[in-house]
Amino acid sequence: MNGSERSASITSELLELAPLPTAREAASQVRKELDEILSTEIPKYTSEDSSLVVFASLARGEWTGASDLDWTYLIDGQANSDHLVIAQKIRKILKKHEDRFRPPGQTGTFGNMAFSHDIIHQIGGQNDTNRNTTQRILLLLESKAIGKNDQAYNRVMKGVINRYLEEDNHLLTEDGTRYRVPRFLLNDIVRFWRTMAVDFASKQRDRAGEGWGLRNAKLRISRKLIFASGLLVCFGCNLDDGLQRRISTTDSDIKLDLVNHIRDQMRLTPLEVLAKAIEQNDVSQTVGEELFKAYSDFLNLLNDKNSREALDKLRAEDSRTNPTFKSVREISQAFERALDLLFFVNSKLAPLTRKYGVF
Amino acid sequence: MRLIGFSTGALTRDDFRAALQILTRRRVRAVELSALRQHELIPLVEQLDNLDLHDFQYKAFHAPSVMDPEFEAVAISVLDQVASRHWPIIVHPDAMHNPSKWAGFGDLLCIENMDKRKPIGQTVAHLAEIFKVLPKASLCFDIGHARQVDPTMSEAAAILQCYKQRLKQIHISEVNSESKHDAISFQSVLAFRKVAHLVPETVPAIVESRVSEDEIDEEIQDARKALSSENVLAIAGD
Repeated sequence: MNGSERSASITSELLELAPLPTAREAASQVRKELDEILSTEIPKYTSEDSSLVVFASLARGEWTGASDLDWTYLIDGQANSDHLVIAQKIRKILKKHEDRFRPPGQTGTFGNMAFSHDIIHQIGGQNDTNRNTTQRILLLLESKAIGKNDQAYNRVMKGVINRYLEEDNHLLTEDGTRYRVPRFLLNDIVRFWRTMAVDFASKQRDRAGEGWGLRNAKLRISRKLIFASGLLVCFGCNLDDGLQRRISTTDSDIKLDLVNHIRDQMRLTPLEVLAKAIEQNDVSQTVGEELFKAYSDFLNLLNDKNSREALDKLRAEDSRTNPTFKSVREISQAFERALDLLFFVNSKLAPLTRKYGVF
Repeated sequence: MRLIGFSTGALTRDDFRAALQILTRRRVRAVELSALRQHELIPLVEQLDNLDLHDFQYKAFHAPSVMDPEFEAVAISVLDQVASRHWPIIVHPDAMHNPSKWAGFGDLLCIENMDKRKPIGQTVAHLAEIFKVLPKASLCFDIGHARQVDPTMSEAAAILQCYKQRLKQIHISEVNSESKHDAISFQSVLAFRKVAHLVPETVPAIVESRVSEDEIDEEIQDARKALSSENVLAIAGD
């Protein structure tokens, strides 16, 4: 077995750590079930201009028994008042199955319609609302279209990626031999991570501490995972040797090829992005194992009814004495330690983290 | 200079003779004889010997875009007469019920990439499935369909890069939100130019825009601008 085969085999082993395969399979089954239920009740609920998109654990392939179903009816086409009717029908049908599909959170970001024009055009500036930013970044980092008709979803994904790249003046390094890290996209991902952290505090206040434990655990681990995977997709534009070998001599191809590359990376789940980065950047096996072990422990904990309920009820003031939260803290510390080694010690990733990650 | 012509179906519905007369009057040198509807195929093929096509340097034939399963074998047999003239036969991938039965046409079979209404044939991955069954088939790249499927034109670039060896012909028009072929807009010109350098000058283009006779020359000019790889596009206000 040569070096690259060995690292490929190590990363596939990482993705097979229990309960990751079970959670992936469960997510795939739930997506299928969701499509079957909706297709029965609303035949052709999607079209070439509209897609049903799911987010969070269902999209990440990390479905556990008590996961929420965050969804959006994404529209990329002519305005039509029937879109609202369909979105309402979807909501009503899912309500009937809420024992299986827990409804999305209270913010109104999900469980509704979203329009491609805002998502693509309103990046930054006064009109880029918290909801719009959330939908856009989660669309990029943790989303999946339900059913076979995913054209609108794919168009919007590419439209968003293209929009970020259009604003970067130089996609290649000065000598033209490598792609640069797409800074506009990266900055938006970084901004979103900080927004999630700030919103955590805001929700704590709005909801008088209710649900603090679960939200905190997610922020420490699953939210951090999507931030890390977003950074890795951006850094990968500069590090992926295959991509650099394909750099075209024609200006317009340079951008279009990068759109396709980023789109391909964003088809992967965040854990797959991490596994790929570990393989491609010669990250040590120990770091990879610690990272995936921590994440697997986190999913096991969420999958345990008692632990999840304990976290859901936990308030901040009890966090230092709560045994379940003690486990969360230990898991998140292990996860962060491995992320630190990945982003700050690995010889390929560390320079990019220093250059783009903070200042 | 690239050969740019017209589809007869874009100019006159159900009357290929009238369309050919228009194109001859306009001195257009490339034509695609269109039998888009199943019932048009046999009458058009039966008349091929009687049509005066000597002014056209490039001739292609568009097979019906929808066929009944039981008509497929008839169509293949009738289209043999087109293949014997060595004209490319443009086929929509979803029109074939048994794609392997079309393999006998070799590289004269020209698979067209589809618009967003169609279930297959839109992307590199979709086309790969089709070319797996029809390894010798060539590609008719519909640049308007590609733009409708992905306005960033990154999928268009990927298709042209991946299948450059198969590229035999271009279809060009504005494909509107109802997937109808309209006159090429400025927005389309801007989009098409992003991938124009991937279309060699030797590849002929067939315009599918539904325009009147007096708009043909302008439409061909717009198609030429859109497919030009020279970077000299004037933008209003510049």
